[in-house]
Amino acid sequence: MKITPGGVVAAEWTKFSSLRSTWITTGISVFLLIAFGMIASASFSGDNLTSIDLALSGSALAALSVGVLGALLGAGEYTTGMIRATFATVPRRLPVLWSKSLVAGSAAFVTMTAGTFAAFVAGSAVLNAEIGALDLGDDGVLRALLGAGLYLGLVAVLGVALGMLVRSSAGAIAILAGLLLIVPGLAALLPDSISEAITPYLPSNAGSAVMTLTHSDGTLAPWAGLAVFAGYVVVTLAATAYRLKTTDA
Amino acid sequence: MVPEYHGRAESVDCGTTDLTLGAPSVAGMIQIREVTKRYGTKTVVDRLSFTAKPGQVTGFLGPNGAGKSTTMRMVVGLDAPSAGDVLVNGKPYASSKAPLREIGVLLEAKAAHPGRTAVSHLLALARTHGIPRSRVDEVLGLAGLSAVAHKRVGAFSLGMGQRLGIAAALLGDPAVVMLDEPVNGLDPEGVLWVRKLLTGLAAEGRTVMLSSHLMSEVSLIADHLVIVGRGGLLADTTVAELVTAEGVRVVTPAPDALRTTIAGPGVTVTSTGAEELLVAGASARVIGLAAASRGIPLFELTPQNASLEAAFMDLTRDAVEYEASR
Repeated sequence: MKITPGGVVAAEWTKFSSLRSTWITTGISVFLLIAFGMIASASFSGDNLTSIDLALSGSALAALSVGVLGALLGAGEYTTGMIRATFATVPRRLPVLWSKSLVAGSAAFVTMTAGTFAAFVAGSAVLNAEIGALDLGDDGVLRALLGAGLYLGLVAVLGVALGMLVRSSAGAIAILAGLLLIVPGLAALLPDSISEAITPYLPSNAGSAVMTLTHSDGTLAPWAGLAVFAGYVVVTLAATAYRLKTTDA
Repeated sequence: MVPEYHGRAESVDCGTTDLTLGAPSVAGMIQIREVTKRYGTKTVVDRLSFTAKPGQVTGFLGPNGAGKSTTMRMVVGLDAPSAGDVLVNGKPYASSKAPLREIGVLLEAKAAHPGRTAVSHLLALARTHGIPRSRVDEVLGLAGLSAVAHKRVGAFSLGMGQRLGIAAALLGDPAVVMLDEPVNGLDPEGVLWVRKLLTGLAAEGRTVMLSSHLMSEVSLIADHLVIVGRGGLLADTTVAELVTAEGVRVVTPAPDALRTTIAGPGVTVTSTGAEELLVAGASARVIGLAAASRGIPLFELTPQNASLEAAFMDLTRDAVEYEASR
């Protein structure tokens, strides 16, 4: 009987799966993906829009939803007092952060990838006549769907890290929503030269690069964009790890 | 809906402890060495040193705000000491490969997610160490919670929460059991259960430490007393030592004659009334014999023992942090 990495992961999975809020937020995220994908596929058209763009139009809201899931998992430890039991059991602390991130990230990746494929299939079925239909075998389609799942998985990890960093559900959710939704809007207010230089690197813009088929000058290449977003997640995780190690629980 | 609590039948059976917990495999000990904890400018624990040893129940006493909970949080590494060492079984807690095996702990504040069931809560803790599901059911039974195992912790009463905390503390069959205010919120039957459980655990050779702000509660089960006030050590003693004789009350019509008769080194005599004396440093037997040899009549000759509660109040009087105004 001793602490093992696998044991800590199993424990975090038990925590993750034994809360009703987990299933509710996951269900909502999948629902948003499919519902928005179908609505957009059925009704929107435009010059640069592809059927993938339409099928994944729920991804921004799904990102917010899985981010909230991660934030609730991370901050919930502190708001409920569970962290005392958690860290008295695993006093090295960092295995808890890695395991919680792994569990939330993998669970979100698996469910959200299933969601993106479902949105694509359902969206294609109701696609309006103005948009050309795409097939899973077409260039970039698989990458976009899989990439969207990876992006959403990383957003869940970002939520976990933020939750354990600020130790408050409301605080973590506010920061997350600010990063993903508000910062791009603020950047647009800056002088054009600055705005054009930084906009592609903002978290949600960089992450979204992986799920579009058409790339203009204003966006990063698909995998480069996802890598930039992963960078934000790693930096946040590092800050959280530092705080966990150096402050009282 | 609050679930009905059906733990009665199991919890009355206080003898179950030794059925499920064998002798510990590690000799346990908690060593606090010159520990100081400061939060900003406030010193909560001040150069505190004591040791809780195997086979005995150590009562950790002090008024509210004396630093008891902070000290216990430092034992399991939740708070880091500003100075000094805290050792569990001879080493820092965080270096342990199987922390749940070393020490089981119940902290004062609630430490469970209200949305999880009792079983899921314990299972989440058990899985970190690869402790089997059967052990979770075992400690739930031990704590009298089998019937509410699948209820959410949020619906638990204070007493049921305490039982869950104690169940969690026993999960790893630890060499040391440390409980912060364990009887808070327990009904009389629960209090009795905790007493039997703790004395049983100590009898098996485990180290047991419990904190309380009530002397009466601790004196019944503790062998060793550590009394703190304002973060500092006030006494490291035993129940027997703490209840030292305060003196002998003597009532006599001739107090002055008795005073000169029994005067000697180490004997102090205080007048507490026209015919009353309080004699310290001489036994009732010595005083009675001396009085008889001089023909001094005595109406009363009573050894006065300080009550535990009074001794505790005396010790902590100057160290009470939050006192009602009078």
